[in-house]
Amino acid sequence: MWLPLMGLIIGVIIGLLTDIRIPDEYSNYLSIAILAALDTLFGGIRAQLQNIYDEKVFVSGFFFNILLAASLAFLGVHLGVDLYLAAVFAFGVRLFQNIAVIRRILLTKWTTNEEK
Amino acid sequence: MKHRKNTGFVLIAAVIGLMIAIQFQTVSEPVERDTRDTWELREDLMEETELQTKLIQEIRSVEEKLAEYKTVRAQSKEQVLKGTLEELKQEAGLTEVTGAGLVLSIEPDFDLMPLGNPAVSVSPELLKRLINELNMYGAQHISVDGQRVINTTVIRIINRDTKIDGHSLNRYPINIKVIVDTVDTAEKLYNRMSVSSVADDFFIDSLRVNVNKPEPEITIPSYQDTIRIRYMEPVNTEKGDNG
Repeated sequence: MWLPLMGLIIGVIIGLLTDIRIPDEYSNYLSIAILAALDTLFGGIRAQLQNIYDEKVFVSGFFFNILLAASLAFLGVHLGVDLYLAAVFAFGVRLFQNIAVIRRILLTKWTTNEEK
Repeated sequence: MKHRKNTGFVLIAAVIGLMIAIQFQTVSEPVERDTRDTWELREDLMEETELQTKLIQEIRSVEEKLAEYKTVRAQSKEQVLKGTLEELKQEAGLTEVTGAGLVLSIEPDFDLMPLGNPAVSVSPELLKRLINELNMYGAQHISVDGQRVINTTVIRIINRDTKIDGHSLNRYPINIKVIVDTVDTAEKLYNRMSVSSVADDFFIDSLRVNVNKPEPEITIPSYQDTIRIRYMEPVNTEKGDNG
């Protein structure tokens, strides 16, 4: 459980150290992609806690969600419709649900542990 | 299996971390609120004005220095040397020259040629005589068929072909361009060439020399090969000083 957190921290450190900046025009694509990635990450954590984790699903979901979100945003920009809101909405809702499930699972685990 | 599960998860977590960091860096421009009051602003403004004056002074001094250097350079020996070099180059025929002059053209006279004979070529002796004559009458720069004539130019027969510095003179008319000092000299040269006896010598070889009217602007190309200096070496001046 600690390894993914380590990965996250290492990623952040690398990102901060390399001082990469992307042009302003692309920053909203990246933000959507981050949202998608976070959604996938929490989905993966939930699946692991529910013991239904599958690596293939997780990795493919990660890339597919990012691509879908970015292309939706791209299409939205070109059509003049704020399509990225759809991605934000979908991922946001899923994010909350996933976190709620994780919280419940952890709570039940904690309470069962205490009862022991 | 457990280990394999984790690697993908860790990698993707790292990628997410990287993305977040990049986005954070891109978005988080330092937003500083300006909370200075009038007096502070005025002080800052004064500071900046002082800085500006200082910079302007610096620019002025640097520009003065630049101008100084420029004048020094203009009067320097180097510039004189460069000028001399340019003059010498022009004298040696390494530069294109434009000036007043006239064009002579040599062409075969078909009326004089016996029928069926092969086309005649200009003999080098004749050409040399012509060039000598032109030089005698004040020619400064000469080119024969586009080839600049310089001090070391050779005119000779190679393989039954008259060549000037390796360039065959077998296409008629052969244009000889001559540049002289002034338009007056060009006029004089024209008159002299019109009555010159060289034309008669060409006449014997079934060639005709046409002397065209002087022109105020004639361009003569530069010498195209490199001039090879084999038997010259600089004088050793140090020895002379000691002796």
